[in-house]
Amino acid sequence: MEKAPPEEPSSFSSKDDSDPSLAGTADPPESPMAETKKEEEDETSTVLEKSIEPEKEETNEAENPPAEDGADGEEKEEEEGEGEGEGRGSDGDDAVHSFGKVIEDIDGVLSFLAAANAEVETATAVLEGHQKRSVQRLLDLVQARALNYIVDSQEAKSVWGQCPDDDSSFLQAVARVSKLNSSLDPSKWGERSGDLINRVGSIHHQAMAFLADEFRSLLEDCKPIITSDEDNADVPPEQEDHPDHQITDKDSDRALRYPHEIVSNLSKIAREMMAGNYETECCQVYVLMRQISIGEQLFMTGFEGISIDDVQKMPWETLQHEITKWVEALKQSARVFFPSEIKLIDGVFEGNSETSAYLFHGLTIGFMVQLINFAEAVAISKRAPEKLFKFLDMYEAMRDMEPVLNGLFGEYDEYEFIKLEMVTARSRLGESTVSIFCDLENSVRSDTGKNVVPGGAIHPLTRYIMNYLELTCEYKETLEQVFRDHLKIERADSNNRSEFQGSGEGYGNYADPSENHSQFSIQIGKIMALLDTNLEAKSKLYRDTALSSIFMMNNGRYILQKVKGSREINELMGDNWRRKKSSDLRHCHKTYQRETWNKVLGCLRDDHGLTVNGKVVKPELKERFKSFNAMFDEIHRTQSLWVVCDEQLQSELRVSISAVVIPAYRSFLGRFSQTFTPGRQTEKYVKYQSEDLETYIDDLFDGKKKP
Amino acid sequence: MPATEYQGSFLSRISIRRNQVVSMDGNHEQELEELEIFQKNISERFSDLISDDSSSSSNSASSSEPFLSIAWVRKLLDVFLCCEAEFKAVLIMGRDPSLISKPPLDRLIPELFDRAVKALDICNAVMHGIDSVRQCQKLAEIAAASLEQRPLGEGQARRAKKALAGLLSAMGIDETSGGHKSAERSWSFGRRGGGGGGVSVTKDRGSGQSRASTWGVPKNWSAAKQIQVMSANLVAPRGAEASGLAMPVYIMSIVTVFVMWALIAAIPCQERTGLATHFQVPRQLGWAQSMVWLHEKIGEELKKKEKKGASPVGLLEEIQKMEKLGQSLLEFSDGFQYPVPEEKLDEAAAQVADLTETCRRMEDGLVPLQHQIREVFHRIVRSRTEVLDVLDHAGKSSAPSV
Repeated sequence: MEKAPPEEPSSFSSKDDSDPSLAGTADPPESPMAETKKEEEDETSTVLEKSIEPEKEETNEAENPPAEDGADGEEKEEEEGEGEGEGRGSDGDDAVHSFGKVIEDIDGVLSFLAAANAEVETATAVLEGHQKRSVQRLLDLVQARALNYIVDSQEAKSVWGQCPDDDSSFLQAVARVSKLNSSLDPSKWGERSGDLINRVGSIHHQAMAFLADEFRSLLEDCKPIITSDEDNADVPPEQEDHPDHQITDKDSDRALRYPHEIVSNLSKIAREMMAGNYETECCQVYVLMRQISIGEQLFMTGFEGISIDDVQKMPWETLQHEITKWVEALKQSARVFFPSEIKLIDGVFEGNSETSAYLFHGLTIGFMVQLINFAEAVAISKRAPEKLFKFLDMYEAMRDMEPVLNGLFGEYDEYEFIKLEMVTARSRLGESTVSIFCDLENSVRSDTGKNVVPGGAIHPLTRYIMNYLELTCEYKETLEQVFRDHLKIERADSNNRSEFQGSGEGYGNYADPSENHSQFSIQIGKIMALLDTNLEAKSKLYRDTALSSIFMMNNGRYILQKVKGSREINELMGDNWRRKKSSDLRHCHKTYQRETWNKVLGCLRDDHGLTVNGKVVKPELKERFKSFNAMFDEIHRTQSLWVVCDEQLQSELRVSISAVVIPAYRSFLGRFSQTFTPGRQTEKYVKYQSEDLETYIDDLFDGKKKP
Repeated sequence: MPATEYQGSFLSRISIRRNQVVSMDGNHEQELEELEIFQKNISERFSDLISDDSSSSSNSASSSEPFLSIAWVRKLLDVFLCCEAEFKAVLIMGRDPSLISKPPLDRLIPELFDRAVKALDICNAVMHGIDSVRQCQKLAEIAAASLEQRPLGEGQARRAKKALAGLLSAMGIDETSGGHKSAERSWSFGRRGGGGGGVSVTKDRGSGQSRASTWGVPKNWSAAKQIQVMSANLVAPRGAEASGLAMPVYIMSIVTVFVMWALIAAIPCQERTGLATHFQVPRQLGWAQSMVWLHEKIGEELKKKEKKGASPVGLLEEIQKMEKLGQSLLEFSDGFQYPVPEEKLDEAAAQVADLTETCRRMEDGLVPLQHQIREVFHRIVRSRTEVLDVLDHAGKSSAPSV
């Protein structure tokens, strides 16, 4: 807008004097390609000037004179009269023609050519006659105008679009040249019209090449409009679940918008290029430029091409970030970038569905291959349990975007390849996911360390596995799908999987038999069973059976709580499993009780030895008290170091201990304490009152050393 | 296709035998025999790639695709796929999985995997290269269609000239000096010059090019380097190892590197400097004789091209033809003046017909070639996974739990 140079013409009829090359039809502006034509054209123009008179005759000769012909002449005169002021003396009045006039003349020629299709002789005669002048005028105008644009736009921005009227009149003129070019079938018109046809073709190419350049610069300027409200906000979670429902609505919101003016200009040029049979060039420029643009957009998501080799060598922390970017790039492509391209293509190549499909394919295919290759690269990377969730993220993104992309791709045949590739890559991710999840088994199996957790507390493996499974269950549906769809593939592929399948069922009895087991739930059951087995083995590492029981209770309790806390695992494991687990825990509790307290209670029993014929055997009684005190002290000393993390379990244990020990002690004390002489002797043997016991029992399983 | 029948019978023989012979001891002889058949097949397959006129063996049954033509490269990939299938059969089919988790295979298999991963990148780069060839093909088609018109006018000549100039600059050939400029860069992202069939180069303001070029193949990736790394640790097994499974692993590695090397030589690919010297096929081995011959022949072509310019465009016959015809027709269009003498026109017409035919062969062959390269890609991935599964299984079964 800052330029609008003075020499810029406002219309064809008022070509400015400042550009002398435009002054006359006879002297077309200098151009590297026009040079060779000069002589011919000079000749032609002289012929033209001379032929004003005979022109009428020739038209009469024509069998089917164009209707416009008569009017032609009259109008011409009018125009010439009007245009006088603008005309430049020496070349005569007809040198400057109004644009409308030229177009009108050419339309006459065109309809005549169409009508005279078969009558080559006649048509040639006409072409060589006065119509030749119209044609030459048109060609001159187009050539001059194209050069004018180019002169102005050599380095910096093009002047295209600064004066829409000029642009549209230029395009109208180019449309005529294209029509002429295609109506003047060289094989029909023969040698006589060769020069003219050659010039039409030449100018036609010049115009097309010019348009292609403009098309390209417009495409360079075609950047999305940045809207104030950020529309790349996160997708609401509910939408993730039903991708295909909301797509159409959402997409229209999300699609990037491009400046209307540029799009409409592009569309006009594209239309002329297509009509001028320069479709190939037009499409190639379009695809090239838009590819750059999509590349930039995707670059903004942070996702870059990484070689498969590099992905294998990348540390997981780095790869994790790359995966996040990839997921974003895939989703943005499917939901924003690609739909925007479709919209833009529709805007530019309105209504030409075949071209649209071709262009969209050309634009997207490279990016799709690259996105898919990254998925392939990740899928074959070294498997590790911590990768599961990122793999699942990728899997979900692919699964959810697949229908969206397929919707965009439509029925275009060329997409079959990429559609298949998407499915393959997703399968591979699925297979890797299955195998990672199944490898969790190995983590459990191979955790055979001989170190015991102090105090019988929860083993880190238990925490790891349970938290892992808990997280896993957040992906339950996806994982079930993955197992359903991809475990099969693996089995079909390899003959060594049958054993795996069999062993899976072996563990299935853990889950509720009434339920229909998915491979996934079987796998969960299997891991839980393996964990139990592993913990069992670990518990044996404690020398103290009671501590083993505490260890089992701690871990069992933790597992049970985790299962109850997660709806998914809870459902997966079922009631039977829960009942069994609870009864196991009770059993452990009993074992503990028995192992720790039976002997203690034995001291308080009124059995043989303590009383003989109703009389208390005092030394025995002393012994009993001594033992009791010693045992209780010892238990207090050791077991207050033991750990029970779960408060409820802790209090259950204490309550149950109190419930057995305190009443027994109280009644023992009630019955026998008076046997001792009060004072020194009582103090010596009766160390605890029953209330004291309660306090001491409350110290147990605290995991802390009492001062 | 005889090759596949062959393969089928070989595979079924192996599987039947393995299923019959349960005992793992005392079948060393059988192993040797399998290895021998494997080597013999490799040798025969590769000798099929040597066309009749250039080799002494006059096996008329093999249709002779022109050396390094699209059809020939496709045949080469077929050979690769066959060899690969047989290799897998020899390596894992029905075998005690623990065999491949023991030395020396515990070292050789990961090396093989590493080569496989690099081969995947090469497949992708070559796929990408074919895309840029397709862009050039479109330009050649514009030129050919334009120059086919009669009478031939200046408009058509200029249109063809523009397309051909774009074509040659995309190929890395500077039409003004007639020599090669940095072919690698243009080819590696062939969309640049090549895409602008109707675009003058001076107007190319090139915004965003650098960013966009992060797409396709990563910037620092080098095809020649991959070949170098792939062949660096390739050592023929010696002594007792030579009669064991180490041998087929070695053979397959050579086959893989050779096929990838030939692909890179034939098809434009990012950074190929020094390709000719980066890999040698071992000469002393019987089964590799045909490969040695092919390697030499391709190597000669590479060197010839390297001498002419900085770096060669793809050796693919169709590309070579397109380049030559393109240059000649560019000259013709450049000096075009209407009307053109009949004999000059006839001369050009013959070249145009040739170019049209070359384009047709590209049109028919390039997409299937891409698909086949993708097939190779998937096959490599799948085999790697399958061998990994076997290894996994071996790992599990050797654990104390079973």
